[in-house]
Amino acid sequence: MTQVVAGEAPARKDDEPEGPAVPPARRRPKLSPEALRHWGIRAGALIVFLVVWWGATAAHVIEPLYLPGPGDVWRAFVRANTWHQVAPGVPREVLGEQNYFLWEHLIASLQRIFIGVGVAIVFGVLLGFAMGSSKWVATMVEPYLNFLRALPPLGYFSLLIVWFGIGDTSKVWLLFLAAFPAVTVATLSGVLGVKRDYVNAARALGAGKSQVLARVVMPASVPDIVNGIRLAVGFAWTTVVAAELNNGIPGIGGLAYVAGTQLRTPLVIACIIVIGITALLLDSVIKWIGLAAAPWKGRA
Amino acid sequence: MRIPRALPGVLLACSLPLTGCIVESGRGEMSRSLIPEVNCPVEPDTSITTDIRIGYQQIPNGDLIVKDANLLAKCMPNATITWTQFSSGADVVRAFGSNALDLGLMGSAPTAKSLSAPLNLDVRVVWVQDVIGGAESLAVKDSAIDAIAGLRGRRIGVPFGSTSHLSLQSALDKAGLAQSVTVINLEPSAILGAWQGDQIDGAWIWEPTLSELTKDGHVIMTAEDTAEAGSPTYDLEGARGEFVTANPAAMRMWTAAQNWAVGLIRDDREDAVARLAGQLGVDPDQVRGQLDGYIYLDATEQAAPKYLGGGLGTDIRNTALFLQTQSGVDAVGPPAVYTGALYPDAAREVAQK
Repeated sequence: MTQVVAGEAPARKDDEPEGPAVPPARRRPKLSPEALRHWGIRAGALIVFLVVWWGATAAHVIEPLYLPGPGDVWRAFVRANTWHQVAPGVPREVLGEQNYFLWEHLIASLQRIFIGVGVAIVFGVLLGFAMGSSKWVATMVEPYLNFLRALPPLGYFSLLIVWFGIGDTSKVWLLFLAAFPAVTVATLSGVLGVKRDYVNAARALGAGKSQVLARVVMPASVPDIVNGIRLAVGFAWTTVVAAELNNGIPGIGGLAYVAGTQLRTPLVIACIIVIGITALLLDSVIKWIGLAAAPWKGRA
Repeated sequence: MRIPRALPGVLLACSLPLTGCIVESGRGEMSRSLIPEVNCPVEPDTSITTDIRIGYQQIPNGDLIVKDANLLAKCMPNATITWTQFSSGADVVRAFGSNALDLGLMGSAPTAKSLSAPLNLDVRVVWVQDVIGGAESLAVKDSAIDAIAGLRGRRIGVPFGSTSHLSLQSALDKAGLAQSVTVINLEPSAILGAWQGDQIDGAWIWEPTLSELTKDGHVIMTAEDTAEAGSPTYDLEGARGEFVTANPAAMRMWTAAQNWAVGLIRDDREDAVARLAGQLGVDPDQVRGQLDGYIYLDATEQAAPKYLGGGLGTDIRNTALFLQTQSGVDAVGPPAVYTGALYPDAAREVAQK
């Protein structure tokens, strides 16, 4: 029975566009001319962007307080990651910013995101399966799910503080609440989107209800779940600054906020860039996990 | 079986950030001072073993100096002390409301709010961190305006619910302009943007935004002026009522440390500036300018009738009365509520030493 999905699926290429001939898991990055061109275009765009940025600030088109040059941002980034003197001649050294290095701020935020989103994935997937397998549950839960999805996190965050205190608990709750609806909705659509043929074929071969769920429905909805997780992590990043407005040190969002109140724009921009790059990396890791977990995606 | 092949990767990706390098919130002071460490200004008390949760804000006053010198841990070596940063007094009030805090710094407006209906929190005022002077001022752009009367029909930005808001409204009331000036709720960074885009004519705001505004504007009124006119604003230290009652020894020690910090600001300004700059993460020059905008009181002055001795209670009640006209509080209690919230005992004891 194990082979039903994994073995059969690649053979069915009838209605989906054909993917690359080599399975993605074995596609080792030997830089082809195409890939070189691809990365060349990206590197070029980045260089153009940096030059325009540098030019605009060097020509004093925009005041440095509103848009500092790339050099200032880089110096703020380095300063935030090293031991440095408060000012020349002041007999005192501090580490990073706000008693933590920048990378420690980042890890603190990542910890919160991993816990919040981790719980959201477990809960969201379970709820999605429950909704997908029972009309009754779906009818009952759906309005609440959509209600929650529409709420702005800043609107109800003060309530979470009153309920769960000012520590990490309220932040993790906020991230969880922001992340799990996306996972649930994606799981639900994955479960509902499983081809009837697969289920019928498995049942015809004698599979019980739980076997169908475990061997057919679950694997078949993996790509949707992974998409849901990607969306959820995105939501979590957009909420993390709101979550770290209060007692957010250490935390990259909290640091960006504190730097903003002190009008230290270079540090704010450094934080934003770090958040953006981390989010990109995290997203590609999840995408890669998704491909590894469901290599038949796009070809079944 | 293709799924399990991905499993190690998944596990690795999930476990990497969770193991190895956990970053904890509220860890102790890490900065390296190249000057000698300070010792507790009084005999350390090893008998204090309580948990003390302190909320601080990024305001240049004695609280940050005490934090910087790690003084509380030295004076109360067996107590567990946690420092938590807050971005506004309103958040400190919320933390008091959920019993998440023992001591917390907040302006006089949030203090008045927490002592009035509907909150009616059991909060005591144990210390005046600073009296706000020129640090919060009204800057205007139009050089033709040199007094508040010139603001008729103009738009002024201020963060609502702040001590600056309080000063602005009381100044406008005194000048009879409350109805003829548009007051807009703006955060400090938004004030800068609105000012640059000429969407506001002025703003009552604190540093570092104030310095940016005075580059192409000028100050026409300060919190010192409104204080002289009868509406002083403060940064106060609030404490949970139960905590104060249960831990008089810890309160005394905490007060002694704060008193030492006030002494440092007065007598050794450069050391205070270096410590504050390290805590705030800003340039010492900026801190030096900011310190002049506040008035710092030592234990003897605090214990006097003008402040913790009773006078401060009247100021807080007046603030509450004012907030009531702004729908900030529902009802103002009798004067005894506000004078009763003052806790001068520790300041008195420290002053006597």
